[in-house]
Amino acid sequence: MSAIVQMLHLVIFNMSDDTGQYAALISEIIKKQSVILGPEIAIVKARSVPGLMVDNDGKVTGVGDNPKETLQNLVDQYVELSGQIVKNALGSIFAKYPTLNLPTSNK
Amino acid sequence: MLTFILGFLATCGIGLSAFLLLNEFKTKVAIERRERDSARRIYELAILREIGDRIGYSLDVTQIVDIITSSLHQFIEYAAVSYMIIEPEKVMFKMHLERSVHRRFVTDVRDRMLSSLGALLDREFKKDDVKEILSGAILLEELDEPVSSFFNIPLVIGDKVVGVLTVSDTKSGLYKEEEMTILYKLIQQASKAVTSLQAVVKAEQEKVSAMVESMEDGVVMTDADYRILVINPAAKRIIGKEGQKDITIFDFIDNLGGKMDMRGRLEESVKLKKNYVSERFDINGKFYQAFVLPVKTETKLNADDVLGGVVIFHDVTREVELERVREDFTSMIVHELRTPLSGIQKTSELLKLPAKKGSGPQTKKFVDLIYQNSSGMLDLVNDILDAAKLQAGKFEVQLGPTDINDILENRKQFFEVSAGDRHIKLETLVSKDLPKNIPLDQQRIKQVLNNLMSNALKYTPDGGSVTVSAFVHDPASSVATETAKLRLALPSPLPENAFPANKHSLVVAVSDSGIGIAADLMPRLFNKFQQLNNAAFVSNIKGTGLGLAIAKGIVEGHGGNIGVVSQIGSGSAFYFVIPFNDTLLTPKA
Repeated sequence: MSAIVQMLHLVIFNMSDDTGQYAALISEIIKKQSVILGPEIAIVKARSVPGLMVDNDGKVTGVGDNPKETLQNLVDQYVELSGQIVKNALGSIFAKYPTLNLPTSNK
Repeated sequence: MLTFILGFLATCGIGLSAFLLLNEFKTKVAIERRERDSARRIYELAILREIGDRIGYSLDVTQIVDIITSSLHQFIEYAAVSYMIIEPEKVMFKMHLERSVHRRFVTDVRDRMLSSLGALLDREFKKDDVKEILSGAILLEELDEPVSSFFNIPLVIGDKVVGVLTVSDTKSGLYKEEEMTILYKLIQQASKAVTSLQAVVKAEQEKVSAMVESMEDGVVMTDADYRILVINPAAKRIIGKEGQKDITIFDFIDNLGGKMDMRGRLEESVKLKKNYVSERFDINGKFYQAFVLPVKTETKLNADDVLGGVVIFHDVTREVELERVREDFTSMIVHELRTPLSGIQKTSELLKLPAKKGSGPQTKKFVDLIYQNSSGMLDLVNDILDAAKLQAGKFEVQLGPTDINDILENRKQFFEVSAGDRHIKLETLVSKDLPKNIPLDQQRIKQVLNNLMSNALKYTPDGGSVTVSAFVHDPASSVATETAKLRLALPSPLPENAFPANKHSLVVAVSDSGIGIAADLMPRLFNKFQQLNNAAFVSNIKGTGLGLAIAKGIVEGHGGNIGVVSQIGSGSAFYFVIPFNDTLLTPKA
């Protein structure tokens, strides 16, 4: 019984750790897009992603129930706005999070 | 109860009314939103169409961005609209001020744009590399307001970032998502159009490139700043830079060695929009003439604008050589005619004098001199006529059954005296199976033998030997076997591939123990122009240098071929091969 509890604890702990990493990754993306596109449009587009909460400085305060999907939707928003080239510029950020299960198209 | 029922109905009526009102409101809102969306879409399309019309089919990114930025004020408010374009050596920053701002505002926007480019391309751009162009309203020191609203739009052609466009203002929170999104879409549309057009142009460029690559003339195209945009392999070869990837105009300046001022001529051509044709000049042993032309744009917007220049290096080595040959030929002819003509003139003057008693023998001597000189001139003129006929393809031979042995003996007797004077052993070697009725032009074959034998005697030292041989080549046998059977000594074996593989042929060879001919000269001996260049070495008796070219024409007129084998210091053997019908052969017993 205690082993099951320990395992559940590990899963929950890891999930919250992943969520934190997703939040950090998304924050970095918004920060970089703020430099590329400007902060106003970068934040506006981030806020239009369901589940994603961003403060006025572009810092992520919530990533929703499915952070992987939130990340994908955010990238899609920026790509829809100014093309594939903005996604290419995110490669160096994705590389910093090798343990995260990133959407396939972003690997 | 009734009160309750009435109350219930009233409540239901109110609820229903409220429900209907709510529905009506929702429908109205939806309609308004659709109308607003439609209006926005129509507006977007109108702007895109206007910009599209103005851009036309331009591929010039700067020009396209200029058109877009000058159209923006129609639907968005800004203090400044600016763009940066990455160029090979600098970053062009152009800002149009719709209203006056402080200098710091310009610098701030510029720095933000540089950061945007840097983040997009993962590289650092130096502020010193930025070339700034401001237009519109003036800068005012008293308006010290910061950049409070701005957004950047990356400019992408194909999959390459070429720059960034920025809209900025001093008021904060000015731009709504909808407005900004329209602009992004607009730029994306323009980018897609240019990318598609570039793909078409690229396909066409590849065709033109293939053509330029395969041209024998050297072709170099530069932009207006004299940077080389196109260079074909021939142009690289001219300056000895085959295989080198990056060629600059300095490579040409260094290698042309001041013989042609390429930079100066390009500048002149580009600025004055005029063509230039250079004098002939030589590089690495070849002669060239350069044509420098301005490259003009044909688009309606910038018709006649000069994009750069093109230099074509035309190889005129052949023309220069031909001119030199013509000059040599003219001076040779003048010289060859002047000597006998002077002789005739002087002899005639003597003959004009009153005849003295007993001057009969001297008069005969003078007449002989006139005959010799005029005969020499006639031979010369005949050679020139023969050469002209060969050149025009009008040379003909009159074939008749001929015993080649008779001709060889006749020529041997003719040259025996001059050979004897120099103690040169002159002999003939003829195989017994030679048919006596081979169709040949006797006079022309004599002419060929005269040329070959006189040359052999001329280049054989005193006490040497000259052998004139003739035999039949059987395609079933080898020439080496046949010459060995005849005991014919040659400086080098005759090449087997010079003989017909399916027909018998007459082979005549004139071999000597002379000085020999260098291998590099041999392929050019039968070309009359080249021969003239080496006239001191191979000229015939009369010195026209046309003899071997005419001999070649005569042999080819018989359907045959002529050639030479030689060894320096051992001697040479000139031979000709004329195929004949196998029915002429005497059946073997």
